[in-house]
Amino acid sequence: MSLLAFAGRRLAGAAVTLVLLSAVIFAATAVLPGDVVSAVAGVDASETQRAVVRVELGLDRPAAERYADWLAGAVRGDLGRGFVGDRPVTDVITTRLPNSLLLAGLTLAVTAPLAASLGLWTGLRGGGADRLVSTSAQVLAAVPEFVVAALLVVVLAVWLEVLPPVSVVPLGGTPFDVPHALVLPVLSLSAVGVAVATRLLRVSVADVAATPYCEAARLGGVRGVRLAVRHILPNAAGPAVQALTLTTGALVGSAVVVENVFDYPGIGRELQLAVAARDVPMVQGIATALVAVMLAVLLLGDICARLLGAWEGHGR
Amino acid sequence: MTTVLTPPGRRARTACPGPSVRRRPPLLTGAGALLVLLLALLGPLAAPHSPTAQLAAPFQQPDGQFLLGTDVLGRDVMSRVLSGGRTLVLIAFTGTAAAGAVGMAAGVLAAMVSRRLGDLLIRCVDALAVLPALLVVLVLAAGFPGSDTALVAAVALATAPFSTRVLRAAADTVLGSGYVEAALARGDTRRAVLRHDVLPNIAGTALMDTALRLVASLHLTATAGFLGLGQGGAVPNWGRMVSENVPGATLAATPFLAPALLLVLLSVCVGLLAGRLADAVGRGPA
Repeated sequence: MSLLAFAGRRLAGAAVTLVLLSAVIFAATAVLPGDVVSAVAGVDASETQRAVVRVELGLDRPAAERYADWLAGAVRGDLGRGFVGDRPVTDVITTRLPNSLLLAGLTLAVTAPLAASLGLWTGLRGGGADRLVSTSAQVLAAVPEFVVAALLVVVLAVWLEVLPPVSVVPLGGTPFDVPHALVLPVLSLSAVGVAVATRLLRVSVADVAATPYCEAARLGGVRGVRLAVRHILPNAAGPAVQALTLTTGALVGSAVVVENVFDYPGIGRELQLAVAARDVPMVQGIATALVAVMLAVLLLGDICARLLGAWEGHGR
Repeated sequence: MTTVLTPPGRRARTACPGPSVRRRPPLLTGAGALLVLLLALLGPLAAPHSPTAQLAAPFQQPDGQFLLGTDVLGRDVMSRVLSGGRTLVLIAFTGTAAAGAVGMAAGVLAAMVSRRLGDLLIRCVDALAVLPALLVVLVLAAGFPGSDTALVAAVALATAPFSTRVLRAAADTVLGSGYVEAALARGDTRRAVLRHDVLPNIAGTALMDTALRLVASLHLTATAGFLGLGQGGAVPNWGRMVSENVPGATLAATPFLAPALLLVLLSVCVGLLAGRLADAVGRGPA
């Protein structure tokens, strides 16, 4: 199967999954009772007021019909308007998602080289250093990221006062206007990311190091950094990248949490605010957008792993 | 959260061949986990003050009356720490138990039915697994505001897909083995095979898997508390205590440090124990 056909098939699969999951999200937020009407009309609204609000929001129609409408709108890029502040959901996503992606990109830029070197080192050396790094990674990965973030805030921002405790971005500005505000969020996310990625890469590196191919290279006199970078990393990267994309779900969760700790104007912060305000269309829209991002990352991971796999075939 | 991918020890084993080193039993981590769990479960009985009443000025330093000082609203930190772990631990354990039961049932079912039907079931489970765990929690929290039951359901729903996969693979291996074929050939019913061959043989995997899910559940439950989901208001919760008291860190450190350190101790000890258990199951005669 050519790469294009492979990508096409996966893309179709991802699209079907997205529609299915959007239905699940819709069901969980809109069909289940909640109290959307009270959230909008106020808790002490009279029965008639509630009925009016219900009709205004279109909640008197059957759920399947509402979902069909929502889906038709979503295909055209219209995810409806939030109950709170009457903002178009699509606008919120298009302004906030890039901020979150910036955070993710910076985290990746910090995490990838660090995790690659740590993973190679521990996977190849073994022994005491390996056990120390592996255990530290396990410990760090186990701690909830909000605790890591909160401790970082307190130590670096409150006690040492070297960094701002929250990432306040000026109105209408972008996070680039206040680069120092990005440091703590990126640091918190990277701590978690390095811990996870190192563990995955270490396993993969150890597997490759045990192959006859690697043994042959070693017998041929290839050693040290050259062996690690030229022979092991390309072969270990494929499985590790694929495994890493599978942790994207966890990293999306981490990002939501970290954005909330630092008041960072990203999509996760917006989602948490929408949940707190019971802003159902906003929750639906943002959740669906996040799932779409997840699926895109998984797809990319599959394609990357396939490309790296093809390369690996040539290498041997 | 990360534990969902931890390989079941076997891959790590091929990496470092040689005689398996007999490691000491994890007494220290076990004691740590037990200590925090007991504190969380029995703590509410030992609380010296009401955990929700405002008793003094905010952020008072620790003294004889308030052993850990007071928090952002002038409530006794000691009492809140003692009372704030029970819901968290109970939600995580109930959610894990539910996820384990669902995962076991669905996994074994997917292995026992025809291959095609089983694959379809796993496809659906995979689709659900795409949902980030925290997203499931947030979406259900939006549907059922302030409900702890919804939190349990969300934790179970977020972790069960992974259990289903693992247990189906384990059951598949057993079902494909020679002695199951022999048992079926001599006329054992599928029910008997399930009881005598499949379940006993996947019990170890199920135990290990449940331990890993527990780590994820604790993580998720603590985070939900931090984000203010579940039972709201003044009810103490270690996660929420951290978010409430971090802004006052210049004035008093104990109100956020005490719950944060307890959460670290709990998740690290349980995480290390689960890792050891996974190693042991992977190494044993699985």
